[in-house]
Amino acid sequence: MTNMLGLKTKMLAAALVFGALLLLPSCAGHPDVPSSSKDAGCLPAIFPDYCDVTVPCNIAPLNFMLPADQFDACVARFSTPDGRQQTYGKGVKVQMPVSEWHAILDASKGKSLKVEVWGQKENEWLSFAPFEIHVADEPIDEYLSYRLIEPSYIVYDYMEIAQRDLTSFEETQIFNNKVSCDDPKGQCINCHSYQNYKTDNMLFHARVTRGGTVIVSDGKVSKVNLKRDNTISAGVYPAWHPTAKLIAFSTNLTHQVFHTAHPNKVEVFDTASDLILYDVATDSVSIISNDSTLLEVFPTWSPDGRYLYYCKSVPLPEELRGEDISATWSKVQYNLYRRSFELTSRTFGEEELVYDAASADKSVTLPRVSPDGRYILFAEGQHGCFHIWHHDADIACLPLAQDSVIDLSCLNSEGFAESYPTWSINGHWIMCASRRIDGNYSRVFISYFNNGKARKAFLLPQEDPEHNTFRLKSYNRPEFMVEPVGISVDQFSKVFQ
Amino acid sequence: MKYVRSLYTLLFGVAVVLFFGLAYPHHLHYQEQFQLFLFDSTYMWDIVRWPGGVADLLGRFCTQFFLFAWVGATIIGVLLMLVQLLTLRLVDWGRFYGLSFVPSFLLWLFLLDENALMGGVWAVLLTLAASWIFDLIPGGWTRRILLILAIPALYFLVGPISVVFLLLQAPHPRRSPWYYGVFLLLAIMVVALSYRLPVAADRLWTGIHYHRYPTVVPKLLWAAALSVFVLTFVVRVCQKWADISRPSLFVPLCSFAVVAIVMGSLVGRNANIKAEKVMQYDFMACHQQWNRILQTAGAEKPNNQIGVTVQNLALAMRGMLVDHLYDYRQNGILGLLPDVATDATSPLPTAEAYYQLGMISMAQRTVFEAQEAILDFQKSGRCYKRLAQTNLINGSYEVTRKYLMALQKTIFYREWANETLQLLGNEEAIAKHPEYGRLRPLAFNNDFYFGDRVTSEMLESLYVSNKDNLLAYQYLLAYYMLTGDRDNYTRFLRQSSVRK
Repeated sequence: MTNMLGLKTKMLAAALVFGALLLLPSCAGHPDVPSSSKDAGCLPAIFPDYCDVTVPCNIAPLNFMLPADQFDACVARFSTPDGRQQTYGKGVKVQMPVSEWHAILDASKGKSLKVEVWGQKENEWLSFAPFEIHVADEPIDEYLSYRLIEPSYIVYDYMEIAQRDLTSFEETQIFNNKVSCDDPKGQCINCHSYQNYKTDNMLFHARVTRGGTVIVSDGKVSKVNLKRDNTISAGVYPAWHPTAKLIAFSTNLTHQVFHTAHPNKVEVFDTASDLILYDVATDSVSIISNDSTLLEVFPTWSPDGRYLYYCKSVPLPEELRGEDISATWSKVQYNLYRRSFELTSRTFGEEELVYDAASADKSVTLPRVSPDGRYILFAEGQHGCFHIWHHDADIACLPLAQDSVIDLSCLNSEGFAESYPTWSINGHWIMCASRRIDGNYSRVFISYFNNGKARKAFLLPQEDPEHNTFRLKSYNRPEFMVEPVGISVDQFSKVFQ
Repeated sequence: MKYVRSLYTLLFGVAVVLFFGLAYPHHLHYQEQFQLFLFDSTYMWDIVRWPGGVADLLGRFCTQFFLFAWVGATIIGVLLMLVQLLTLRLVDWGRFYGLSFVPSFLLWLFLLDENALMGGVWAVLLTLAASWIFDLIPGGWTRRILLILAIPALYFLVGPISVVFLLLQAPHPRRSPWYYGVFLLLAIMVVALSYRLPVAADRLWTGIHYHRYPTVVPKLLWAAALSVFVLTFVVRVCQKWADISRPSLFVPLCSFAVVAIVMGSLVGRNANIKAEKVMQYDFMACHQQWNRILQTAGAEKPNNQIGVTVQNLALAMRGMLVDHLYDYRQNGILGLLPDVATDATSPLPTAEAYYQLGMISMAQRTVFEAQEAILDFQKSGRCYKRLAQTNLINGSYEVTRKYLMALQKTIFYREWANETLQLLGNEEAIAKHPEYGRLRPLAFNNDFYFGDRVTSEMLESLYVSNKDNLLAYQYLLAYYMLTGDRDNYTRFLRQSSVRK
């Protein structure tokens, strides 16, 4: 009996020690706020800047940090509207467990949570002005996919199309250019696209080694060659019809040149581009538009599938026609057009001008219609079609019932390229790729949108905020998805064998 | 006898060190410049999470020391000696003692290829070490269970070379059916992994990162690894049929001498001294050793494109290009500023010329392309450094900071990165800097597009942008001389003398 008691005592002691050990990291993650501090009199210079942003009610933790070369430590206290508080901070970083953060979001849904930040500098604590994070009622699509690529010129290294769970930090690979490439020339993968934010019907291109367009139709993977005798190239920029197994593509003869002094670095341009319609079921290609004197590009469908929007170049002034393209390219500008589409007969109507950007000495690319069909987003710069390399490029939003764009300065940056705009499925979140952090490596920024008004954009959160500094890849062509791609890299690679 | 054997091993090691230190130092520099070892948990995890990742990580760790050729040579010498010593412990070699050097010699042959990676050497070494440790474990269930656990563990540590471990362990226990099951286990594991890992299935069998070329199966590495099994098997068989009494001192010496002569001659025959010369020119350009380049080029007149490019750059840096152009071998304008090719090696000396000329954006693009062309997707310390410099000169400080913060995580580039970080945004300090202060004012005044080829118009525009740019002046005159364009040569001389 004594032995039994002794054993029980030992087991209890062991359980207590184990429990204490379990609790230790939790305690370490919730530091005390400084007992005394000096008022800094300003907002904290946190990275990423999450001060007064509006975020979805299901977003991953907004981890941030104070500048490591200016501070030794950081403590942040989050207060929810119901009065609960929690503190975080380790070194100069504030990193929150996903489950605790979601509890904070749940308690603040439709309201705001208050954030107080203290920074330690040479053994002295500074207290910054508190800021709010507004938690919208509307959730964001759970997944995001993007191509991770060096901001390269012509040669490319390892690249991957990745998908990110926006409610956590999990990032997995959809495909990479290493798995099915056995040629030193390498393989380029690009232009992932989904039908209606779902992944049963999707596509991406592979070029150079074993190239082709990988199409997933009802979950079945195949690779097709979209270059036909009557097209100038294989399919390039894609757009799935929202209901039918039809994909509009542009076909492009694309070239690149490089600047000797201009910060834009790279200029990508087309010497020809047309529009085609691909029927997935019959593997047939028909021409939508192939004006040999003008450039048609970036097709996108209205949510009801009754209109195809696209960009088309404006004729060059008479005196520049016939000049070398490298001399005239900076004068090439695109307007936004649309054509009606009859699904049963698969015919397109007459071309209509939707937005005359050239008249304002601008050029429009990458249009995307909002899910409610009321607005259209696009990237707008001074010239050309590849605005991710244009420092003057911004995202613009046009209400389709009006002819002037609405203010999106909350989403855009000053002097850095913004491109690849897109809508979440509920139309309340706008996303774009922006080079605003350093001018070279593009990152994903998200902004809340409601009734024609956008709120301050926030950077895609990362588990370690420094990840944004150390990841030397650009986030290219970010696309929302409501579900992850279920096909493995290995399954995709089989179509290349 | 034991000490004599140690002497042979040492002799072999010294030969390896002398070979790589004296005859092959620039191959080691070449290896180092195509990787960037970071003391960073994300970087390390990205390597070790793949089969063979630990061997790969150790290989990359060693390769960073190749920046100093003698240190690199010593590391290779020590590793090859360890391979020989572990091979020696696997079996009583007797009169076949010399054969215990064969795997190490084969690894030496493997390393003659500038794209052979040190991870392969570590894979062989760790496999032999595992086998040796297992030989120390007494037989029985413990050993069997450990063997089952060791198979996946070793596969993950060193990759498919670990199959040699299975082969080496095969003769020891009695061959029960479940023993062969372990081979089956390995096969099933690899097949299962091919579905889980985003990597081509065939590379799980041949090795993910033993060689820089993803599709190359490194035959010499596999020969080195498999030779351990084959030789030990042959020696065991021979010893069953022959006298196994301890041989005299003379016999092992003879067997060592025979192996050393045969394998040594193979090493000599397969060493790519021509490539070593090209790499030497690249190394000297990278380290801006202009006088040494002129001495070397004067003595041997390089006939390869990289050598001629570097020689002309050195001539220009010493203000001798126009007057002494034809004292050296030339290769037309391709020897002056070659077209940018899509490989990792040839663009780098060209990029050095662009950089020194003040064509900073072109240098940046060329270096970036070269780094992107590294076939095993690694980054390069040399390229990161130059990309930081070009971005600094162009005023892109945040991009510079990114590269510098990565370089801060290295051993040998950290100090430079720390010093350069102090310059960011400090216009006065940059203006006073001997290199950046000189290069920044040389930039093009006007913006235009460029492609893969430098034209005389670009050089003239560069010179017009800053008439103190004597390098651009020399290159343009040399351009006209090499293309035989007398009219423009005379015109430019006249114009430039009027301007002066």
